[in-house]
Amino acid sequence: MIFVLEDDCGWESYYRRLLKGQELAFFHDGIAAIAAMDFDEPPRLVILDVLLTGPTGFAVLNEMRSYPQLMDVPVVIVSSVSLPDDIAEKYGVVAAFDKGSMRPSDLLEIVGRYA
Amino acid sequence: MESEVVVAHELKAPLSLMRQLALSLDYEESLEGAREVGKQIVATSDRAIRQVNDLTKIARLDEALFEMEPVNPRAVCDEVVNELWQWFKFNRRELSIDYRNKRRLAVANTQLLHSVVYNFCLNAMNYGGEELPSEIAVYDRGAKIRIEVRDFGPTIPTKIWREIKDGFVKKPVATPMRPGSSGLGLYIASRFSSYMHSDFGLIRHRDGTSFYIDLPVSGQLSFL
Repeated sequence: MIFVLEDDCGWESYYRRLLKGQELAFFHDGIAAIAAMDFDEPPRLVILDVLLTGPTGFAVLNEMRSYPQLMDVPVVIVSSVSLPDDIAEKYGVVAAFDKGSMRPSDLLEIVGRYA
Repeated sequence: MESEVVVAHELKAPLSLMRQLALSLDYEESLEGAREVGKQIVATSDRAIRQVNDLTKIARLDEALFEMEPVNPRAVCDEVVNELWQWFKFNRRELSIDYRNKRRLAVANTQLLHSVVYNFCLNAMNYGGEELPSEIAVYDRGAKIRIEVRDFGPTIPTKIWREIKDGFVKKPVATPMRPGSSGLGLYIASRFSSYMHSDFGLIRHRDGTSFYIDLPVSGQLSFL
């Protein structure tokens, strides 16, 4: 299962088309997403926006990392916020993409590798 | 956050989405699928163009170019739904209208009122869901006609609520609990409402917010 934390329904629709065939679960806010994560069977990948309804994506990431069962879940940040180049390394995520410059192949490669 | 940054961020969202959708055409396996993506690109660009047009209109409000006239609120709401139904469909949402008003005309400017209702609906779509359809309600309140759109989003921050209650949102601001609608839509709606001397407000619910505009009834009879 891939968890997608995205509160723009236009993007939600885009992910549904691009990642057709994958099992996806969409969440508008991080609290609901973390509550839905099964510790015995955590998501194979989390696609995380930064500006979410409620706590930001970074707060969600910190919360996830505080649980040993979720610590190793691969996370990819996909956001329209301009992020520094070292963001992936700094936050321990597999990749960080800017919605304005990302290519569908970038995301498909990550999904192919982890999910 | 500076209001310019808020506006830029809000305008970047549809542009980024259009780019992604266009690039994703390479991955569509059928002509039918490609056509669907094409329609979504058009619907997304229509939304972006409307936002830019509304911002342009705000800059021209001081020139008093928008005349007040007798307007049929039902016709305006029908137009908005016709314009947005496809956008709602792409986003797996529903939009309906509940007319509970008498067939009276209101005093407003058709273009500006259209934008106000449009922005209310976009906001409701962002904070709706597949099981939470958005609805425009039109009903009479004495000598006023109210157009109200309910959403199911997080509670509006008190600062924004106070500004709306005072009758005016001064500038587009980021609303930390509602990043999906950075306040630009509310700002546009409040500026246009103020120009039309109509009452713009909100009702806070436990599970969302209803935004409304109260329009004075026109003395002219409706022939519709």
